[in-house]
Amino acid sequence: MLINDLKHKSARVRSTVAEMCIERGGHIASSLSCIEILVALYQGGTLNISKDTLDHPDRDRFILSKGHGETVLYAILADMGFFPNEWLSEQYRYGDCILGGHPDKNIPGVEHSTGSLGHGLGVACGLATAGKIDNSSRYHYVLLGDAECTEGSVWEACLYASAQNLDNVIAIVDRNHIGSIDFIDSFTSLKPFAEKWSSFGWNVFNCNGHDFAELFTEFEKTKNMKNGKPSVVIAETVKGKGISFIEHQPIWHVKQLNNSDDIDNARKELSIGEGND
Amino acid sequence: MTDYANMQMRDAFISELFEQAKHDRDIIFISNEYGAPSLDIFREELPEQFINAGISEQNIISVASGIALEGKKVFVYSIASFISLRCFEQIKLDMCVHNAPVTILAVGTGFAYSEDGPTHHATEDIGVMRTLASIEICSPADAKQSSRLVNICLTKQQPRYIRFDKGKFSILSETFCYSNDGYGILENADSEVLLLSTGFMTHRAVEVAQELKTHGVGTTIVDLWKLKPLNPDLVEVIDKVKYIFTIEEHTVNAGLGSMIAEFVLDNNCKVRLKRFAIKDDLLYDYGVRNKIHEKSGLDAGSIVRSIIKHIE
Repeated sequence: MLINDLKHKSARVRSTVAEMCIERGGHIASSLSCIEILVALYQGGTLNISKDTLDHPDRDRFILSKGHGETVLYAILADMGFFPNEWLSEQYRYGDCILGGHPDKNIPGVEHSTGSLGHGLGVACGLATAGKIDNSSRYHYVLLGDAECTEGSVWEACLYASAQNLDNVIAIVDRNHIGSIDFIDSFTSLKPFAEKWSSFGWNVFNCNGHDFAELFTEFEKTKNMKNGKPSVVIAETVKGKGISFIEHQPIWHVKQLNNSDDIDNARKELSIGEGND
Repeated sequence: MTDYANMQMRDAFISELFEQAKHDRDIIFISNEYGAPSLDIFREELPEQFINAGISEQNIISVASGIALEGKKVFVYSIASFISLRCFEQIKLDMCVHNAPVTILAVGTGFAYSEDGPTHHATEDIGVMRTLASIEICSPADAKQSSRLVNICLTKQQPRYIRFDKGKFSILSETFCYSNDGYGILENADSEVLLLSTGFMTHRAVEVAQELKTHGVGTTIVDLWKLKPLNPDLVEVIDKVKYIFTIEEHTVNAGLGSMIAEFVLDNNCKVRLKRFAIKDDLLYDYGVRNKIHEKSGLDAGSIVRSIIKHIE
């Protein structure tokens, strides 16, 4: 798919995410920072996952370890036909709540239930260990938040992946520099972040997490390493990307987009209702 | 013929698992950097089915769940106090919520590591584990029972927690009848007193029964080797007696006694129940196991005196 098409797709996902959050709540800022990453993975040809290969043993595995980015995953899975588009408005945090506030394994296309941080990488290491045992060529992708990396279990998994030579594990960190109530550097700085991963025995790649060309370049590198080491792509992002008054503002991790002026301004910035498709 | 009375529970289990693993490549054994004599041959002969995942309980459970979700039969081997508490959320979310067929082999329950102190005491594990909806809890009392559990694990794959004591124990099936699912029974049809116990403390219950007999008090003893789910047929055993005494090496909160109290209430059993357990006063102590038991009133003499007073 051409990068321009992916840009259109990500603009549409951004609008969908905003509308879901306006309507039902959700972590809007955390979602907006990882849209290009997930579009690149799912719709840019990185993951070999489709609704027709849901049960194929050699499909790639993806775990959204930062489970609070669920709106982005739902919008993409709906667009790819994993479930009806109507669920986004009729089932997200509403009614039977088939689409809950964090990913649930019972949703078509969701590999693993997440929501509590620091689980996804360890589970992916388990899937990857089984992949090695079964001689599968599949890859195991995990998207982590950067503040999630203050969980000790993330680093336990890092040690394990490296010790077990899991070069079929590819972690991506949504490096938006903000946790739940503050900038990460203000509470538990992760710096030097890249060096931490490399000192744990990982291949480390850096890129702009909103730039498709850079994302694809780095994703491709991770697949071509084949040096027995797991890989991480540290994707620099902007928390709240696309809505100026949400960008880089820690309060928007939990703040709801429910004030009418904010809603109007957000829609205006995202050109919702102006036929931006 | 295997001399189970001279085997540790964990070694009986691992030896049997090793025999099965030789023919079943889907059996994967993960050690929390923890060994056993019986594990050496497993590591040596089946290196592709053995992982030493280091001292990292949280990650071990996540990894084990991931491997199990890909169709493997995974066994996690660790010290009970660490693997029941340090990684409880991983057990809840990655293992139980996903119904991953992981069996946790937890060694050193209760005060088994008595001299090693509070860090190694596993006196809360039944209480925490039984709050998890989909997990099965087994608690064998000797090496023969432990060995039998391997077949159960491989036949019915689900999240499971197995408690192993340390040391060697007499084989209860030489006197108890184990034809019911989940429990063994040494029945005295004329008795009004039922002693209910599990694991190490079933041997204490046997001592108590012997001593009570010298006082003219007959007892039926039930050894609960499966604590969750409890076999509903236990109602019939309970309905035959007037008094139940639960005996456990676990905090009085939420352990075996609590389970039985709930069972009695839920089934409207007309019976009097008294619980012998570790008192709710943080017994964080070092010492020889029997000495710790004396402090907690869990030695045979204290239990017998209390029972006699209770039934007078």
